Amino acid sequence: MYDFLSGHALYIVLTIVLICWFGIFFYLYTLDRKISRIEKQLGNMS
Amino acid sequence: MLKIVLGIWLTIVIVVAFAFPIVPQPQQWFEYPVIPGLEEKARILFFHVPMSWTTVVAFFVSMIYGIRYLKTKNLRDDMRSVSSAGLGLMFCVLATVTGSVWAKFNWGSFWNWDPRETSIFILLLIYGAYFALRSALEDEAKRATLAAVYAIIAGVTVPFFIFVMPRIMASLHPEPIVNTEGKVHMNATMLIVFLSSLAGFTALFAWMLQLRIRLARLEQHYYQKEN
Amino acid sequence: MISAAAVRTIVLKEFQSELRTRYALNALLMFVVTTLSIVLFSVGSENVSTDVLSGILWIIIFFSSMSGLSRTFVSEEERGTTMTLQLLAPPLVVFFGKLVFNIVLLFILNVVAIGLYMLLIGGFAVKSYGIFCLTIGLGTIGLASASTLIAAIISKANTKGTLYPVLSFPIMLPLLLTVITATRRSVEGAVFSEAIGEFQVLFSYIVVMLAVSYIVFDYIWRD
Repeated sequence: MYDFLSGHALYIVLTIVLICWFGIFFYLYTLDRKISRIEKQLGNMS
Repeated sequence: MLKIVLGIWLTIVIVVAFAFPIVPQPQQWFEYPVIPGLEEKARILFFHVPMSWTTVVAFFVSMIYGIRYLKTKNLRDDMRSVSSAGLGLMFCVLATVTGSVWAKFNWGSFWNWDPRETSIFILLLIYGAYFALRSALEDEAKRATLAAVYAIIAGVTVPFFIFVMPRIMASLHPEPIVNTEGKVHMNATMLIVFLSSLAGFTALFAWMLQLRIRLARLEQHYYQKEN
Repeated sequence: MISAAAVRTIVLKEFQSELRTRYALNALLMFVVTTLSIVLFSVGSENVSTDVLSGILWIIIFFSSMSGLSRTFVSEEERGTTMTLQLLAPPLVVFFGKLVFNIVLLFILNVVAIGLYMLLIGGFAVKSYGIFCLTIGLGTIGLASASTLIAAIISKANTKGTLYPVLSFPIMLPLLLTVITATRRSVEGAVFSEAIGEFQVLFSYIVVMLAVSYIVFDYIWRD
């Protein structure tokens, strides 16, 4: 696989972009869940 | 649930943007045509343009919430306006930087004052001015009012640019080749991927905006409870 | 709605208070002289292209107006006379009064600046006076309209001085770019019809700015 990648730089870029994207998506998703949880708690209280 | 769909959607878009090969004569449905002078670099079309699009959308959303604030005087609308502007600023910076880096590799210099570069720069200035104005005002109601007013004034000027620039700067070097071609006849596969990316980024923006607004509401709640 | 007499009263009031202190006029003139000197010093005897010369002229005009045109609103806030003015006159009367004053002030400034510029910088010789005069006229009105409106906004803020150019520049960019191009054309000796495009832009800019001011000034002015 290393040989393939070192010849086709484009796929290295693709891998990096995907990693960045997954990181961002993961962050947003967990944030969304946290906010939903707090909203539900507040809903229960008031 | 929808968010997972968005996640998968954009993942596919990214993979497709990179993986589909660029060949001189596309025969298969999964091939892009070669654009003379650009070749592989054309792939930026799938990322840079949607980001620029999103920043403009964000600005108009901000302006619309500003107008609503002026009518309702409800600070919640102002809060939505700022949230959108913040996101818009981020996308604007990203769009400018990606465009600049690409320009360096394509035309040799980071900045050329070509019409589209200039207009994204001006949008950056407008966002900067918007936040500078907000930071100079302490009273919430006044801040919201004046920020909304400035958003309207700037929003009126922006379309001016889209129609003014082509007239004045016709003498400058030609637009990125993809744009002129894209308007007339973009290859079908490219068009589909491009539009999907556009939709994906817009949905991403909507989601991020919603998160920011909900977070701001919770913050407000928290500070109210403290008092 | 807006009576011409009321507007005229405001304009006269502005002139009177200006004549009393001559603050804005002095600031503007000194600014023009200073920047012009720096330009002259750095240009020296070099042959600078007409593009650059046109651009520099409007830099001088733009920043001079930034140093003086906000006075109309800022001084009201500083002297505490805003509320009185709010009670006495409808908002649009106030706006148009101050706008007319700013147009006149800017016009005087431009005449001086351009006069000195043409005199002292050899490379800047206007060949098409028709284009030139119309450009200056429309440019002055456009610049004054935008800057008066922004002046109203920043007068309510805390850091007025530095904020003024920051807010004004993006708004005025279409105007500045057009006006610089038109000035360049007039120096290069273009035919009048070539500059029609620029004049259309300038004219529509003025219309748009005035329309926006008409709608929006109420919100700025009222507390």
